[in-house]
Amino acid sequence: MASPDLVLALLADARLPVGAHTQSAGLEPAVVHGGLTVADVPAFLRGRIATVVAVDAGTAVVARHLSLAGADLTAVEEAWAARTPSQALRQASRTLGRGYLRLAQRLWPGEARLAALTRTPARPVVLGVVAALAGLDAARLVRLCGHEDVATVGAAVLKLLPGDPADTVAWTLAAHPAIEALVARTAALTSPQEIPATAAPLVELQSLQHARTPRRLFHA
Amino acid sequence: MPEQKPVAHRSFRLGVAGPVGTGKSSLIALLCRELSGTLRLGVITNDIYTDEDARFLRSAGVLDPERIRAVETGACPHTAIRDDITANLLAVEDLEADFDPLDVVLVESGGDNLTATFSPALVDAQLFVLDVAGGGDVARKGGPGIARADLLVLNKTDLAPHVGVDVPRMIADAGEARGGRPVVALSRLDRASVEELTAWLRATLAEFRTGRHVPQDPGPMAPHSHADGMTHAHGDEQDDEHGHGDERGHHDEHGHHDEHGHHDEHGHHDEHGHHDEHGHHDEHGHGDEHAPLLTSHPSS
Repeated sequence: MASPDLVLALLADARLPVGAHTQSAGLEPAVVHGGLTVADVPAFLRGRIATVVAVDAGTAVVARHLSLAGADLTAVEEAWAARTPSQALRQASRTLGRGYLRLAQRLWPGEARLAALTRTPARPVVLGVVAALAGLDAARLVRLCGHEDVATVGAAVLKLLPGDPADTVAWTLAAHPAIEALVARTAALTSPQEIPATAAPLVELQSLQHARTPRRLFHA
Repeated sequence: MPEQKPVAHRSFRLGVAGPVGTGKSSLIALLCRELSGTLRLGVITNDIYTDEDARFLRSAGVLDPERIRAVETGACPHTAIRDDITANLLAVEDLEADFDPLDVVLVESGGDNLTATFSPALVDAQLFVLDVAGGGDVARKGGPGIARADLLVLNKTDLAPHVGVDVPRMIADAGEARGGRPVVALSRLDRASVEELTAWLRATLAEFRTGRHVPQDPGPMAPHSHADGMTHAHGDEQDDEHGHGDERGHHDEHGHHDEHGHHDEHGHHDEHGHHDEHGHHDEHGHGDEHAPLLTSHPSS
């Protein structure tokens, strides 16, 4: 099996063909419906890591654990959905989940753990199974979830707000302590009930407004 | 709850690419108007802002609005049809599942520049749209879509007198750039040109249904010459018809069997890379089990 560091680099690569370039991780909704500015972005990132990213990371870790144990993942998907009350966010995650699942089925053809998933699994559920298949440990999986979210916001900023591309890299680096704190909080989770239930009402509200907004650049 | 849907029949997927303002959406509206009586159609649009083109097409009233879906491209229309086709593939598959069976799904690219062409993993064939108002010299300048799309459409020929473009000259330039591949000079006001376009689509669909149709990749690059005087484009591996070196024949002729060593042996240092991502791994023909999108699988 490949080095877990290389697997992490591969999965965190923005060029991974899973449809992630269609997403802004809540940034476009926050800019359009919440008046978010460039100066707010670092706080926005911290807020996401403490809430929606914690739900996703916890879900991914538990999905990985149960997948390695050969267990059914329905309860993980349900636990994630219960903690993701916005229909628009669930739909966006499941669209991405389909993208990851499509790619994973090419990389591990005929793999029973992928075949056992639904057609539209939540992204963190698929990520958990991919981590199990690729030999990615739980801590790196949490780092992947954190980095992915920060990097998605950073890429979307450059399309939506005036700014220096180097700033987005600096924000990503500055988010590392928060991501490591998330590792400490979620990497050891093993059961669906333990997944953080951290609501982010503004993110949820804006995601619903965005889904009804014409002339948008990003899916969510 | 997450969805479970049965796998639908595979439609013929036709890409429509070309620069902004050349009339891609209008051409799709025209095709829907002409063909929706006899073929079961669906449309996917890609645009800078989500649904501008989809709304135009829905308001044109040429197709059930439910059969017209918009894909967000994250302001990267080029990426969405070539480098990461996931969102478009999912949208096509959803249309195929929701309106099973569909005959043709038209995928409209977001208006991009002359270099944007569809991945052969997304569409079975593609047409590239230019218009006479964009200038008579555009066809001569060439580019992957102009030179090697399955069909080149020179649109809005009725405007030619107003913009001072010599249409026969433009067609001749296009013919030269395309090495004999088809060109349609289209005006929605010219019935014969409309029928030429729909006849091409029906013929290509018929070929697709035989299972012998293999998607061609126009490629992201211009063709180039080898020291031996041969000119070829690397999207043309399976395209024997036009006499451009069949990729496999080319390998044999030069004794190449290294998929990646091609440019080194020739002393080429093309910075864009010589091998295209879709062509060279398919040395054993088109039955690659990992590439169901490259061939027609009526039951998948």
